[in-house]
Amino acid sequence: MSGTGGTSRAERVLAPIPFRRLLVVEARKLADTRSGKIMTAVLAALVLAGVAGRGFVTDPKLQTLAFTAGMPIATLMPVLAILAVTGEWSHRTALTTFTLEPRRGRVLAAKYVPAAAAALAASLLSALVAVPVTAAVAAVRGIPAVWEMNPLALLGWTGTNVLMVAMGLALGTLLLNAPAAIVVYLVNPMLWSVVGRLGDTGETLAGWLDLNATVAPLVTGDMTGGAAARLAVAAAFWIVVPMAAGAVRVARKEVG
Amino acid sequence: MIEFNRVSKVYKGVKALDDVSFAVGPGSVTGFLGPNGAGKSTALRILLGLSRATSGSATVLGRPYGELDRPAARVGALLDADARHPGRTGREVLTLTATALGLPGTRVEEVLDLVGLTGRESRRTVGGYSLGMRQRLGLAEALLGEPEVLVLDEPANGLDPQGIRWLRGLIRDLAASGRAVLLSSHLLHEVEQVADHIVMIGRGRVLAQGTAAELGRDRGLEETFIELTAHADRGAA
Repeated sequence: MSGTGGTSRAERVLAPIPFRRLLVVEARKLADTRSGKIMTAVLAALVLAGVAGRGFVTDPKLQTLAFTAGMPIATLMPVLAILAVTGEWSHRTALTTFTLEPRRGRVLAAKYVPAAAAALAASLLSALVAVPVTAAVAAVRGIPAVWEMNPLALLGWTGTNVLMVAMGLALGTLLLNAPAAIVVYLVNPMLWSVVGRLGDTGETLAGWLDLNATVAPLVTGDMTGGAAARLAVAAAFWIVVPMAAGAVRVARKEVG
Repeated sequence: MIEFNRVSKVYKGVKALDDVSFAVGPGSVTGFLGPNGAGKSTALRILLGLSRATSGSATVLGRPYGELDRPAARVGALLDADARHPGRTGREVLTLTATALGLPGTRVEEVLDLVGLTGRESRRTVGGYSLGMRQRLGLAEALLGEPEVLVLDEPANGLDPQGIRWLRGLIRDLAASGRAVLLSSHLLHEVEQVADHIVMIGRGRVLAQGTAAELGRDRGLEETFIELTAHADRGAA
Protein backbone atom coordinates (compact mmCIF):
# COMPACT_ATOMS: atom_id res chain seq x y z
CA MET A 1 0.00 0.00 0.00
CA SER A 2 2.87 2.39 -0.57
CA GLY A 3 1.65 5.84 -1.41
CA THR A 4 -1.90 5.61 -0.15
CA GLY A 5 -1.17 5.88 3.56
CA GLY A 6 -0.67 8.96 5.68
CA THR A 7 -2.64 12.12 5.95
CA SER A 8 0.08 14.67 5.16
CA ARG A 9 -1.42 15.50 1.81
CA ALA A 10 -4.83 15.89 3.31
CA GLU A 11 -3.58 18.42 5.81
CA ARG A 12 -1.93 20.61 3.23
CA VAL A 13 -3.69 23.79 2.27
CA LEU A 14 -4.85 23.27 -1.28
CA ALA A 15 -5.32 26.11 -3.70
CA PRO A 16 -7.23 25.86 -6.98
CA ILE A 17 -5.21 24.42 -9.87
CA PRO A 18 -3.15 27.33 -11.26
CA PHE A 19 -4.31 28.39 -14.72
CA ARG A 20 -0.85 27.91 -16.23
CA ARG A 21 -1.01 24.25 -15.25
CA LEU A 22 -4.39 23.83 -16.94
CA LEU A 23 -2.76 25.44 -20.00
CA VAL A 24 0.04 22.87 -19.96
CA VAL A 25 -2.46 20.02 -19.70
CA GLU A 26 -4.75 21.28 -22.45
CA ALA A 27 -1.82 22.10 -24.75
CA ARG A 28 -0.55 18.56 -24.25
CA LYS A 29 -3.95 17.15 -25.12
CA LEU A 30 -3.76 18.83 -28.56
CA ALA A 31 -1.17 16.32 -29.71
CA ASP A 32 -0.94 13.44 -27.24
CA THR A 33 -3.43 11.09 -28.92
CA ARG A 34 -2.79 8.99 -31.99
CA SER A 35 -5.12 11.13 -34.12
CA GLY A 36 -3.62 14.33 -32.70
CA LYS A 37 -0.13 13.20 -33.59
CA ILE A 38 -1.19 12.22 -37.11
CA MET A 39 -2.97 15.56 -37.65
CA THR A 40 0.07 17.47 -36.43
CA ALA A 41 2.40 15.48 -38.68
CA VAL A 42 0.10 15.92 -41.70
CA LEU A 43 -0.14 19.64 -41.03
CA ALA A 44 3.65 20.01 -40.80
CA ALA A 45 4.12 17.95 -43.97
CA LEU A 46 1.52 19.98 -45.88
CA VAL A 47 3.06 23.28 -44.80
CA LEU A 48 6.52 22.13 -45.90
CA ALA A 49 5.27 20.54 -49.13
CA GLY A 50 3.09 23.56 -49.91
CA VAL A 51 5.87 26.08 -49.49
CA ALA A 52 8.45 23.95 -51.30
CA GLY A 53 6.03 22.89 -54.05
CA ARG A 54 5.00 26.44 -54.82
CA GLY A 55 8.69 27.20 -55.25
CA PHE A 56 8.74 25.07 -58.41
CA VAL A 57 6.00 26.99 -60.13
CA THR A 58 6.47 30.54 -58.96
CA ASP A 59 9.20 33.11 -58.71
CA PRO A 60 11.39 33.07 -55.60
CA LYS A 61 9.36 35.65 -53.65
CA LEU A 62 9.55 35.18 -49.90
CA GLN A 63 6.12 36.56 -49.13
CA THR A 64 4.31 34.56 -51.81
CA LEU A 65 5.97 31.34 -50.70
CA ALA A 66 5.35 31.94 -47.00
CA PHE A 67 1.65 32.66 -47.50
CA THR A 68 1.22 29.44 -49.50
CA ALA A 69 1.13 27.67 -46.17
CA GLY A 70 -2.08 29.56 -45.37
CA MET A 71 -4.19 26.94 -47.13
CA PRO A 72 -3.22 23.95 -44.96
CA ILE A 73 -3.06 26.08 -41.82
CA ALA A 74 -6.48 27.68 -42.28
CA THR A 75 -8.03 24.34 -43.24
CA LEU A 76 -6.49 21.89 -40.79
CA MET A 77 -5.71 23.94 -37.67
CA PRO A 78 -9.34 24.93 -37.09
CA VAL A 79 -10.27 21.25 -37.43
CA LEU A 80 -7.67 20.42 -34.79
CA ALA A 81 -9.16 23.19 -32.64
CA ILE A 82 -12.67 21.82 -33.14
CA LEU A 83 -11.52 18.34 -32.11
CA ALA A 84 -9.79 19.74 -29.01
CA VAL A 85 -13.15 21.00 -27.74
CA THR A 86 -15.56 18.36 -29.06
CA GLY A 87 -13.28 15.40 -28.23
CA GLU A 88 -14.16 15.83 -24.56
CA TRP A 89 -17.77 15.00 -25.44
CA SER A 90 -17.35 12.41 -28.19
CA HIS A 91 -14.96 10.37 -26.03
CA ARG A 92 -16.76 11.41 -22.82
CA THR A 93 -13.47 12.48 -21.26
CA ALA A 94 -15.39 15.55 -20.02
CA LEU A 95 -16.24 13.25 -17.12
CA THR A 96 -12.65 13.31 -15.84
CA THR A 97 -11.76 16.75 -17.17
CA PHE A 98 -14.56 18.47 -15.26
CA THR A 99 -14.05 16.34 -12.16
CA LEU A 100 -10.47 17.56 -12.14
CA GLU A 101 -11.50 21.19 -12.66
CA PRO A 102 -15.19 21.83 -11.96
CA ARG A 103 -14.87 25.46 -13.03
CA ARG A 104 -15.65 24.65 -16.64
CA GLY A 105 -14.96 28.13 -17.97
CA ARG A 106 -11.32 27.81 -16.89
CA VAL A 107 -11.03 24.55 -18.82
CA LEU A 108 -12.43 26.16 -21.97
CA ALA A 109 -10.06 29.11 -21.67
CA ALA A 110 -7.19 26.69 -21.17
CA LYS A 111 -8.19 24.97 -24.41
CA TYR A 112 -8.52 28.20 -26.41
CA VAL A 113 -5.14 29.73 -25.59
CA PRO A 114 -2.86 26.89 -26.80
CA ALA A 115 -4.91 26.38 -29.98
CA ALA A 116 -4.59 30.07 -30.87
CA ALA A 117 -0.89 30.00 -29.94
CA ALA A 118 -0.40 26.98 -32.22
CA ALA A 119 -1.89 28.94 -35.14
CA LEU A 120 0.51 31.78 -34.38
CA ALA A 121 3.47 29.41 -34.19
CA ALA A 122 2.51 27.60 -37.40
CA SER A 123 2.26 30.91 -39.25
CA LEU A 124 5.67 32.11 -38.09
CA LEU A 125 7.15 28.69 -38.81
CA SER A 126 5.95 28.73 -42.41
CA ALA A 127 7.48 32.19 -42.85
CA LEU A 128 10.76 30.75 -41.59
CA VAL A 129 10.52 27.69 -43.84
CA ALA A 130 9.96 30.00 -46.82
CA VAL A 131 13.40 31.61 -46.34
CA PRO A 132 15.57 28.64 -47.39
CA VAL A 133 13.02 27.65 -50.05
CA THR A 134 13.23 31.16 -51.55
CA ALA A 135 17.02 30.98 -51.54
CA ALA A 136 17.02 27.51 -53.09
CA VAL A 137 14.55 28.39 -55.83
CA ALA A 138 16.53 31.52 -56.68
CA ALA A 139 19.77 29.54 -56.86
CA VAL A 140 18.35 26.66 -58.91
CA ARG A 141 16.56 28.86 -61.43
CA GLY A 142 19.23 31.49 -61.50
CA ILE A 143 16.89 34.39 -60.89
CA PRO A 144 17.23 36.93 -58.08
CA ALA A 145 15.19 36.26 -54.97
CA VAL A 146 12.70 38.84 -53.77
CA TRP A 147 13.17 39.05 -50.03
CA GLU A 148 10.65 41.77 -49.52
CA MET A 149 8.18 40.89 -46.79
CA ASN A 150 5.64 43.46 -45.70
CA PRO A 151 5.58 43.12 -41.90
CA LEU A 152 1.99 44.36 -41.78
CA ALA A 153 0.94 41.74 -44.31
CA LEU A 154 2.70 39.04 -42.30
CA LEU A 155 0.96 40.26 -39.18
CA GLY A 156 -2.38 40.38 -40.97
CA TRP A 157 -1.89 36.92 -42.42
CA THR A 158 -0.94 35.48 -39.04
CA GLY A 159 -3.95 37.22 -37.51
CA THR A 160 -6.15 35.64 -40.18
CA ASN A 161 -4.93 32.17 -39.24
CA VAL A 162 -5.56 32.86 -35.56
CA LEU A 163 -9.07 34.14 -36.35
CA MET A 164 -9.84 30.99 -38.36
CA VAL A 165 -8.74 28.83 -35.42
CA ALA A 166 -10.86 30.97 -33.12
CA MET A 167 -13.83 30.34 -35.39
CA GLY A 168 -13.15 26.60 -35.15
CA LEU A 169 -13.00 26.81 -31.36
CA ALA A 170 -16.24 28.80 -31.27
CA LEU A 171 -18.11 26.38 -33.53
CA GLY A 172 -16.77 23.40 -31.59
CA THR A 173 -17.88 24.91 -28.28
CA LEU A 174 -21.31 25.82 -29.58
CA LEU A 175 -22.08 22.54 -31.37
CA LEU A 176 -20.05 20.11 -29.18
CA ASN A 177 -20.09 17.77 -32.13
CA ALA A 178 -17.03 17.37 -34.35
CA PRO A 179 -18.66 16.42 -37.68
CA ALA A 180 -21.22 19.22 -37.46
CA ALA A 181 -18.64 21.86 -36.51
CA ILE A 182 -16.17 20.74 -39.20
CA VAL A 183 -18.84 20.77 -41.90
CA VAL A 184 -20.06 24.22 -40.90
CA TYR A 185 -16.47 25.49 -40.89
CA LEU A 186 -15.48 24.03 -44.26
CA VAL A 187 -18.72 24.74 -46.10
CA ASN A 188 -18.81 28.34 -44.89
CA PRO A 189 -16.73 29.94 -47.70
CA MET A 190 -18.71 28.12 -50.40
CA LEU A 191 -21.98 29.09 -48.80
CA TRP A 192 -21.09 32.77 -48.78
CA SER A 193 -19.95 32.77 -52.37
CA VAL A 194 -23.43 31.52 -53.26
CA VAL A 195 -25.17 33.99 -50.94
CA GLY A 196 -23.04 36.79 -52.39
CA ARG A 197 -24.58 36.20 -55.79
CA LEU A 198 -28.15 36.37 -54.56
CA GLY A 199 -28.78 39.99 -55.52
CA ASP A 200 -28.14 43.10 -53.45
CA THR A 201 -29.34 41.66 -50.15
CA GLY A 202 -27.15 38.60 -50.54
CA GLU A 203 -24.18 40.73 -51.45
CA THR A 204 -24.67 42.96 -48.42
CA LEU A 205 -25.06 39.97 -46.12
CA ALA A 206 -21.91 38.31 -47.46
CA GLY A 207 -20.07 41.60 -47.24
CA TRP A 208 -20.73 41.82 -43.51
CA LEU A 209 -20.90 38.21 -42.39
CA ASP A 210 -18.41 36.25 -44.50
CA LEU A 211 -15.41 36.01 -42.21
CA ASN A 212 -13.21 34.57 -44.97
CA ALA A 213 -13.82 37.61 -47.17
CA THR A 214 -13.80 40.27 -44.48
CA VAL A 215 -10.36 39.17 -43.24
CA ALA A 216 -8.85 39.63 -46.72
CA PRO A 217 -7.93 43.31 -46.17
CA LEU A 218 -5.75 42.19 -43.24
CA VAL A 219 -3.38 40.57 -45.72
CA THR A 220 -3.72 42.95 -48.66
CA GLY A 221 -3.30 45.95 -46.41
CA ASP A 222 -6.52 47.65 -47.55
CA MET A 223 -7.88 47.87 -44.03
CA THR A 224 -10.10 50.94 -44.10
CA GLY A 225 -12.55 51.98 -41.40
CA GLY A 226 -15.39 50.35 -43.33
CA ALA A 227 -13.46 47.13 -43.82
CA ALA A 228 -12.59 47.05 -40.12
CA ALA A 229 -16.27 47.43 -39.24
CA ARG A 230 -17.16 44.54 -41.56
CA LEU A 231 -14.45 42.36 -40.05
CA ALA A 232 -15.62 43.19 -36.53
CA VAL A 233 -19.21 42.26 -37.38
CA ALA A 234 -18.20 39.00 -39.06
CA ALA A 235 -15.87 38.09 -36.17
CA ALA A 236 -18.60 38.83 -33.64
CA PHE A 237 -21.01 36.66 -35.62
CA TRP A 238 -18.68 33.68 -36.08
CA ILE A 239 -16.42 33.90 -33.04
CA VAL A 240 -17.65 36.04 -30.14
CA VAL A 241 -21.32 35.07 -30.16
CA PRO A 242 -20.96 31.31 -30.71
CA MET A 243 -18.09 31.14 -28.21
CA ALA A 244 -20.14 32.92 -25.54
CA ALA A 245 -23.26 30.86 -26.23
CA GLY A 246 -21.17 27.67 -26.30
CA ALA A 247 -19.50 28.55 -22.97
CA VAL A 248 -22.94 28.95 -21.39
CA ARG A 249 -24.00 25.63 -22.91
CA VAL A 250 -20.90 23.84 -21.57
CA ALA A 251 -21.33 25.40 -18.12
CA ARG A 252 -24.89 24.12 -17.89
CA LYS A 253 -24.52 20.80 -19.61
CA GLU A 254 -25.05 17.59 -17.72
CA VAL A 255 -21.93 15.47 -18.05
CA GLY A 256 -22.56 11.78 -18.31
CA MET B 1 -17.46 13.03 4.65
CA ILE B 2 -20.10 12.49 1.99
CA GLU B 3 -23.64 13.58 2.54
CA PHE B 4 -26.72 13.29 0.38
CA ASN B 5 -29.50 15.43 1.76
CA ARG B 6 -32.92 14.79 0.19
CA VAL B 7 -31.55 14.74 -3.35
CA SER B 8 -34.07 14.45 -6.17
CA LYS B 9 -33.41 14.55 -9.86
CA VAL B 10 -36.01 14.79 -12.59
CA TYR B 11 -34.58 14.08 -16.00
CA LYS B 12 -36.76 14.39 -19.10
CA GLY B 13 -39.87 14.00 -17.01
CA VAL B 14 -38.60 10.87 -15.26
CA LYS B 15 -37.74 10.89 -11.58
CA ALA B 16 -34.21 9.44 -11.67
CA LEU B 17 -33.65 10.15 -7.98
CA ASP B 18 -36.33 10.62 -5.38
CA ASP B 19 -35.48 12.11 -2.00
CA VAL B 20 -32.17 10.30 -1.54
CA SER B 21 -30.46 10.82 1.83
CA PHE B 22 -27.47 9.03 3.29
CA ALA B 23 -24.02 9.78 4.66
CA VAL B 24 -20.57 8.21 4.49
CA GLY B 25 -18.17 8.67 7.39
CA PRO B 26 -14.38 8.46 7.51
CA GLY B 27 -12.66 5.10 7.78
CA SER B 28 -15.60 3.22 6.36
CA VAL B 29 -16.82 1.61 3.17
CA THR B 30 -20.38 2.30 2.10
CA GLY B 31 -21.84 0.03 -0.54
CA PHE B 32 -24.31 1.75 -2.84
CA LEU B 33 -26.28 -1.23 -4.01
CA GLY B 34 -29.01 -1.39 -6.59
CA PRO B 35 -30.00 -2.88 -9.93
CA ASN B 36 -28.79 -1.31 -13.16
CA GLY B 37 -30.67 1.88 -13.85
CA ALA B 38 -31.59 2.41 -10.19
CA GLY B 39 -29.96 5.86 -10.15
CA LYS B 40 -26.55 5.05 -8.63
CA SER B 41 -24.51 6.72 -11.35
CA THR B 42 -26.82 9.71 -11.44
CA ALA B 43 -26.36 10.17 -7.69
CA LEU B 44 -22.57 9.95 -7.97
CA ARG B 45 -22.49 12.46 -10.84
CA ILE B 46 -24.55 14.89 -8.82
CA LEU B 47 -22.15 14.40 -5.89
CA LEU B 48 -19.21 15.33 -8.16
CA GLY B 49 -20.88 18.38 -9.68
CA LEU B 50 -21.23 16.87 -13.15
CA SER B 51 -25.00 16.93 -12.98
CA ARG B 52 -27.34 19.19 -11.01
CA ALA B 53 -29.86 18.00 -8.48
CA THR B 54 -33.42 19.18 -9.11
CA SER B 55 -33.76 19.59 -5.35
CA GLY B 56 -31.77 18.74 -2.25
CA SER B 57 -28.01 18.89 -1.92
CA ALA B 58 -25.01 16.61 -2.04
CA THR B 59 -21.81 17.60 -0.28
CA VAL B 60 -18.39 16.11 0.12
CA LEU B 61 -16.03 17.23 2.89
CA GLY B 62 -18.76 19.61 3.98
CA ARG B 63 -19.14 21.51 0.73
CA PRO B 64 -20.52 21.04 -2.76
CA TYR B 65 -17.77 19.39 -4.81
CA GLY B 66 -17.50 22.33 -7.22
CA GLU B 67 -16.73 24.71 -4.35
CA LEU B 68 -13.74 22.73 -3.09
CA ASP B 69 -10.32 24.05 -4.03
CA ARG B 70 -8.57 21.44 -6.15
CA PRO B 71 -11.25 18.85 -5.37
CA ALA B 72 -9.59 15.98 -7.25
CA ALA B 73 -6.69 16.05 -4.79
CA ARG B 74 -9.11 15.35 -1.94
CA VAL B 75 -11.75 13.26 -3.66
CA GLY B 76 -10.72 10.44 -6.01
CA ALA B 77 -13.33 9.29 -8.49
CA LEU B 78 -13.75 6.41 -10.87
CA LEU B 79 -16.99 7.05 -12.73
CA ASP B 80 -16.77 5.27 -16.05
CA ALA B 81 -13.71 3.32 -17.11
CA ASP B 82 -14.84 3.54 -20.73
CA ALA B 83 -14.88 7.33 -20.86
CA ARG B 84 -11.40 7.58 -22.37
CA HIS B 85 -9.87 8.78 -25.60
CA PRO B 86 -8.91 5.48 -27.27
CA GLY B 87 -5.81 6.99 -28.86
CA ARG B 88 -4.20 8.14 -25.60
CA THR B 89 -1.86 5.85 -23.65
CA GLY B 90 -2.66 4.88 -20.08
CA ARG B 91 0.50 6.55 -18.87
CA GLU B 92 -0.43 9.77 -20.68
CA VAL B 93 -3.89 9.75 -19.02
CA LEU B 94 -2.21 9.58 -15.61
CA THR B 95 0.47 12.12 -16.55
CA LEU B 96 -2.20 14.66 -17.55
CA THR B 97 -4.01 14.28 -14.23
CA ALA B 98 -0.74 14.31 -12.25
CA THR B 99 0.32 17.49 -14.07
CA ALA B 100 -2.97 19.21 -13.30
CA LEU B 101 -2.70 18.25 -9.62
CA GLY B 102 0.96 19.27 -9.44
CA LEU B 103 2.18 15.76 -8.63
CA PRO B 104 5.61 14.46 -9.68
CA GLY B 105 6.04 11.86 -12.42
CA THR B 106 7.18 9.35 -9.80
CA ARG B 107 3.63 9.34 -8.44
CA VAL B 108 2.43 8.01 -11.81
CA GLU B 109 4.84 5.08 -11.44
CA GLU B 110 3.59 4.49 -7.89
CA VAL B 111 -0.08 4.22 -8.83
CA LEU B 112 0.71 2.08 -11.88
CA ASP B 113 2.49 -0.32 -9.51
CA LEU B 114 -0.34 -0.12 -7.03
CA VAL B 115 -3.01 -1.17 -9.53
CA GLY B 116 -0.80 -3.71 -11.26
CA LEU B 117 -0.39 -2.17 -14.71
CA THR B 118 3.05 -2.90 -16.16
CA GLY B 119 5.25 -0.26 -17.76
CA ARG B 120 4.65 -1.85 -21.11
CA GLU B 121 0.87 -1.86 -20.70
CA SER B 122 0.96 1.76 -19.61
CA ARG B 123 2.60 2.75 -22.89
CA ARG B 124 -0.18 1.21 -24.99
CA THR B 125 -3.18 3.22 -26.09
CA VAL B 126 -6.33 2.75 -24.04
CA GLY B 127 -8.28 1.60 -27.13
CA GLY B 128 -6.43 -1.71 -26.87
CA TYR B 129 -7.13 -2.20 -23.14
CA SER B 130 -9.49 -4.84 -21.78
CA LEU B 131 -12.26 -3.55 -19.51
CA GLY B 132 -10.31 -4.88 -16.52
CA MET B 133 -7.25 -2.85 -17.54
CA ARG B 134 -9.38 0.25 -18.02
CA GLN B 135 -10.81 -0.24 -14.52
CA ARG B 136 -7.29 -0.49 -13.10
CA LEU B 137 -6.34 2.67 -14.98
CA GLY B 138 -9.39 4.44 -13.58
CA LEU B 139 -8.49 3.31 -10.05
CA ALA B 140 -4.90 4.49 -10.57
CA GLU B 141 -6.21 7.89 -11.61
CA ALA B 142 -8.57 8.08 -8.62
CA LEU B 143 -5.70 7.28 -6.24
CA LEU B 144 -3.17 9.71 -7.77
CA GLY B 145 -3.72 12.59 -5.36
CA GLU B 146 -3.92 10.35 -2.25
CA PRO B 147 -7.51 11.54 -1.68
CA GLU B 148 -9.38 11.37 1.63
CA VAL B 149 -12.59 10.34 -0.10
CA LEU B 150 -13.06 7.77 -2.86
CA VAL B 151 -16.09 7.50 -5.11
CA LEU B 152 -16.04 4.34 -7.20
CA ASP B 153 -18.83 3.51 -9.65
CA GLU B 154 -18.95 -0.23 -10.37
CA PRO B 155 -15.17 -0.64 -10.02
CA ALA B 156 -15.30 -4.44 -10.15
CA ASN B 157 -16.86 -4.53 -13.64
CA GLY B 158 -14.64 -6.43 -16.00
CA LEU B 159 -12.14 -7.54 -13.36
CA ASP B 160 -11.24 -11.21 -13.23
CA PRO B 161 -11.65 -13.13 -9.92
CA GLN B 162 -8.06 -12.33 -8.88
CA GLY B 163 -8.69 -8.70 -9.73
CA ILE B 164 -11.86 -8.62 -7.67
CA ARG B 165 -10.07 -10.10 -4.67
CA TRP B 166 -7.27 -7.57 -5.09
CA LEU B 167 -9.80 -4.72 -5.33
CA ARG B 168 -11.47 -5.88 -2.13
CA GLY B 169 -8.13 -5.76 -0.32
CA LEU B 170 -7.35 -2.33 -1.73
CA ILE B 171 -10.71 -0.92 -0.62
CA ARG B 172 -10.32 -2.38 2.89
CA ASP B 173 -6.84 -0.86 3.16
CA LEU B 174 -8.11 2.52 2.01
CA ALA B 175 -10.82 2.52 4.67
CA ALA B 176 -8.39 1.23 7.31
CA SER B 177 -6.18 4.26 6.67
CA GLY B 178 -9.09 6.53 7.51
CA ARG B 179 -10.54 7.21 4.09
CA ALA B 180 -14.21 7.29 3.23
CA VAL B 181 -15.11 4.99 0.37
CA LEU B 182 -18.41 5.07 -1.50
CA LEU B 183 -18.66 2.07 -3.77
CA SER B 184 -21.54 1.41 -6.13
CA SER B 185 -22.44 -1.98 -7.47
CA HIS B 186 -25.38 -3.97 -8.77
CA LEU B 187 -23.90 -7.16 -7.28
CA LEU B 188 -24.86 -7.92 -3.72
CA HIS B 189 -22.03 -10.37 -3.19
CA GLU B 190 -19.41 -7.81 -4.13
CA VAL B 191 -20.78 -5.17 -1.76
CA GLU B 192 -21.53 -7.51 1.10
CA GLN B 193 -17.91 -8.68 1.34
CA VAL B 194 -16.37 -5.26 1.75
CA ALA B 195 -18.95 -2.72 2.90
CA ASP B 196 -19.48 -1.66 6.52
CA HIS B 197 -22.67 0.03 5.58
CA ILE B 198 -25.07 -0.70 2.73
CA VAL B 199 -27.47 1.71 1.03
CA MET B 200 -29.97 -0.13 -1.16
CA ILE B 201 -31.46 1.89 -3.97
CA GLY B 202 -34.13 1.01 -6.50
CA ARG B 203 -35.97 3.21 -9.00
CA GLY B 204 -34.29 6.29 -7.60
CA ARG B 205 -35.35 5.73 -3.99
CA VAL B 206 -33.35 4.58 -1.00
CA LEU B 207 -35.12 1.34 -0.07
CA ALA B 208 -33.12 0.44 3.02
CA GLN B 209 -29.84 1.23 4.69
CA GLY B 210 -27.79 -0.18 7.53
CA THR B 211 -25.09 -2.73 8.18
CA ALA B 212 -25.21 -6.03 6.34
CA ALA B 213 -26.28 -7.69 9.61
CA GLU B 214 -29.12 -5.24 10.18
CA LEU B 215 -30.42 -5.51 6.62
CA GLY B 216 -30.25 -9.30 6.61
CA ARG B 217 -31.71 -9.83 10.08
CA ASP B 218 -35.15 -11.06 9.05
CA ARG B 219 -34.78 -12.89 5.77
CA GLY B 220 -31.11 -12.88 4.99
CA LEU B 221 -29.45 -10.11 2.99
CA GLU B 222 -30.05 -11.60 -0.43
CA GLU B 223 -33.78 -12.14 0.11
CA THR B 224 -34.08 -8.58 1.38
CA PHE B 225 -32.25 -7.22 -1.65
CA ILE B 226 -34.26 -9.26 -4.14
CA GLU B 227 -37.55 -8.42 -2.51
CA LEU B 228 -36.85 -4.74 -2.15
CA THR B 229 -35.63 -4.33 -5.70
CA ALA B 230 -38.01 -6.77 -7.41
CA HIS B 231 -40.40 -4.06 -8.43
CA ALA B 232 -37.61 -1.73 -9.41
CA ASP B 233 -35.30 -3.78 -11.59
CA ARG B 234 -36.80 -2.48 -14.79
CA GLY B 235 -36.72 1.10 -13.54
CA ALA B 236 -35.49 4.16 -15.36
CA ALA B 237 -32.39 3.25 -17.33
